Amino acid sequence: MRNSFFKIFVLVLVISILGIFTIYSSTYQKTGTQWQDIYKRQMLWLTIGLSCFFLMSRFNYRKLWDANYFIYGIALFFLLLVFSLGVIRLGAQRWLKIAWFNFQPSEFAKLAIIIFLARYFSRKSIDYTSLLSGKFGIFQGIILPFIFVAMPMFLIIEQPDLGSGLMLMLVFVGLLYLTHVRLKYIFILLACLILPLPFFWHFLHDYQKQRLLVFLNPNIDPLGAGYTIIQSRIAIGSGGFFGKGWLRGSQSQLYFLPESHTDFIFATFSEQWGFLGGSLLILMYYLIIRQGFLIAQRTQDSFGSLLAYGISLLLTLQVFINIAMNMGLAPVVGLPLPLMSYGGSSILVTLTALGILVNIDRTRNVF
Amino acid sequence: MERKTILNIIVILMFMALLLGLLNLDILQGAKFCRLSDSNCIRLISQSGCRGNILDRDGQLIVGSKISYDVMILPQDLGNIDQPLLLISRILGCEIKELKDTFKRNFVSSSIPVTVASNIDSKEAIVLGEYKVEQPSIIVAPKPLRYYPYGALAAHVIGYVNEIDRWRLTKLEDYGYKTKDIVGFGGVEEKYDYYLRQEEGGLSVEVNHRGKFTRVLGFQPPRNGKDIILTIDLEIQQIVEENLAGRKGSVIIMDPDNGEILAMASYPNFNPAVFVHKRSKLIAGLFNDVDAPFMNRAIGSSYPPASVFKMVVAAAGLETKKINTGSNFVCQGSTLVGQRRFKCWDTHGPEDIFQGIAHSCDVFFYKTGLLAGAQNIHDYALKFGLGKNIGFELIGETSGFIPSPLWRKINKFQNWYDGDTANLSIGQGDCLVTPLQAVNMLAVFANRGYLTSPYIVKNVGGIDLTAKKKRLTAVPIRQSTLEIINKGLRKVVSDERGTGKVLANLPVQVAGKTGTAQVSRGATHAWFVGFFPADKPRYVICVFLENGGPGYAACLLTKQIIEAMDQQGII
Repeated sequence: MRNSFFKIFVLVLVISILGIFTIYSSTYQKTGTQWQDIYKRQMLWLTIGLSCFFLMSRFNYRKLWDANYFIYGIALFFLLLVFSLGVIRLGAQRWLKIAWFNFQPSEFAKLAIIIFLARYFSRKSIDYTSLLSGKFGIFQGIILPFIFVAMPMFLIIEQPDLGSGLMLMLVFVGLLYLTHVRLKYIFILLACLILPLPFFWHFLHDYQKQRLLVFLNPNIDPLGAGYTIIQSRIAIGSGGFFGKGWLRGSQSQLYFLPESHTDFIFATFSEQWGFLGGSLLILMYYLIIRQGFLIAQRTQDSFGSLLAYGISLLLTLQVFINIAMNMGLAPVVGLPLPLMSYGGSSILVTLTALGILVNIDRTRNVF
Repeated sequence: MERKTILNIIVILMFMALLLGLLNLDILQGAKFCRLSDSNCIRLISQSGCRGNILDRDGQLIVGSKISYDVMILPQDLGNIDQPLLLISRILGCEIKELKDTFKRNFVSSSIPVTVASNIDSKEAIVLGEYKVEQPSIIVAPKPLRYYPYGALAAHVIGYVNEIDRWRLTKLEDYGYKTKDIVGFGGVEEKYDYYLRQEEGGLSVEVNHRGKFTRVLGFQPPRNGKDIILTIDLEIQQIVEENLAGRKGSVIIMDPDNGEILAMASYPNFNPAVFVHKRSKLIAGLFNDVDAPFMNRAIGSSYPPASVFKMVVAAAGLETKKINTGSNFVCQGSTLVGQRRFKCWDTHGPEDIFQGIAHSCDVFFYKTGLLAGAQNIHDYALKFGLGKNIGFELIGETSGFIPSPLWRKINKFQNWYDGDTANLSIGQGDCLVTPLQAVNMLAVFANRGYLTSPYIVKNVGGIDLTAKKKRLTAVPIRQSTLEIINKGLRKVVSDERGTGKVLANLPVQVAGKTGTAQVSRGATHAWFVGFFPADKPRYVICVFLENGGPGYAACLLTKQIIEAMDQQGII
């Protein structure tokens, strides 16, 4: 138990401290106190996040089983609140202003949905031995959980935050795959999702269409939508093997790279530390996720196991999509890099999720 | 396989893909992105030094650099472009539309100043400078420009400066020359360009995504070019050019003791300043001129030497002992060589060698030449430095030509006849000599037996080159021969029937030889080569007038030059 807790804790600490260094390097040259203090705020968020991590690692996760409808309800409530009262920033209505900070409910909703799905699929029959999901028909196995996922997802996509919405869908499909729901049903779901995609094209915002087109060829609009991708690729590529060194990244520190402390923090980091730093960072993320999968496999409790899988999957997808987007391998969507990117909600939710993960491992040993 | 394992594999593959993507960007395409990153954020702002000055032998400036001013606008922090342009157009008195067009054409990036008007005079520059507070985006930047205080003086010696052309660029790229560099064309400017050339310095600055200056990365101070001191004497050069002006031809004055060129003029000439101010119409006019003003006639063009060549024939005759001071030939106005009658320009009666030279008697030299033989004449001509490049430092020297029986046989498959020898004896036929070769030949008589190698650059960047450049080669010729010919050369001026007697009444004793070269078309070329003072020569002079009439014309010009030199107290 100490083992997984300790490993995850060290990795989280290393990654988030690297994140603070990177945030500092990308903002220290900007004028204005709100930029100068940004790394301090991130330190504060990290401290709060780490206390959440410790708290959750002591908090028996089985209690989430009971609280799950409540959590789901709160997430939905916040999303609705954003829909009406949210702060509009960068053209999107994603934030709730609470006291002195902005809270991003969609981050919280991701975790809530995972808890909900884990609870939903780990219901057991009366004899308490086998999972019910193996006997689910198409309605119970696919349609009902889809409705539960689709409600918050719809609200998130409407913010608009297409990236988070689609990522939720991927987590949902991944979890479905891990439960005993029949493959046939999953394929039906996928077909239903993929086939009308050309039709959905018309519902996309102009900037979303442009981002997708630019993803296919960044050079069609080098100063507009393609700018970020081009600059991000230049930033990563110019790092070389050893990188330019801390505070020496010309791309990020001279502001050629937009969003260099949030969504494109991997490019900032990679410019300064090169292939060596970038690949070590990717490795560290993998090690955390591997711990998550190992915990999920070790856990006898199916709720805990599914929860651990869900959290690991969420982390995997966020890391993968963000880094791929930095390298120009995925379209630009507004997804932060967990633990690294500046942003309180993201770091709080990620650390809470990791706390739950650690607790699953801890509780297993108690049994 | 279990679903968990498959999912595990999928996750591992995803991370492998990320690593591969990183590898591709960082290692495989790293160099490309590095370059892109640099070009994103590094800008160079150049500052130029001064091209080296060209001075005369006493250190007086012939060509220098003058500060001119460029008006530039720094687009950074500039709200409205019209305002500063309006101000500039009001002060310079030019159209605002024109300025706007120039601005648009020259714009590179917001951190690099854009030149909107160049070469404004200092008064306007001061007025504009006073607006520095109100219009901080206007920059008045000094820029050194080539400056010619004497206009076209010694234009052929100096050459001109202009933007480098394609041909020179391909040759000079390896030596650090770039497109749009200003380099020398012709004369000393081209030959010594590497030394005269200033080293460009400048700033490399880092800019941010808006092209705004963030910090200075490096600074290299510009370095001025090296100064060049010529052997030219400014006063003599001025006298020579004033007197030559308006006539086609060239004048060279040289120090016979060491080969230093004191004056070298060629006319028609050009004003090198037209290239500085980019007067394209004038430049085109110069290039299309049929009189070839860019040609340095002193070195770049060769002519029949005519009677000037006779001293070579005399030397050949005396050295081969075919004639001596007692030899006499009677001139009856013409003589028969083979079947053909060769005319003299006058009827001189009996002539010895002194009179023969003094009167430039053709008959005397036909006979001397036939006695000495064509091959001997050719050999002696070569000993006097004719018929080959003398290795002058300026570009564009031609070698001239001295024919010989052997050459005729090999190249033309023709025999050499006595008539050819007779023609060669009076410097006609295929014989060609440049004015510089003529002056070099005469120096042998002036300094009693040494062939000089003329030079024009004394000192480069403080390093004295005279010891290296002064090369005297002893000509294998007897002193008595030189003395006999010198006496004849003196008689050219002092004899009452001498061809150069117009020079007799000068305050300085002159010795020399006239020449009137027959040409296939137009008037004859006029030659005068001589040295003065006759007893202890300090100057060798060659005056050549292309289609200038008889040798007398050249003598007159020589007289004017020597008189002017005397008036200024140079002699």
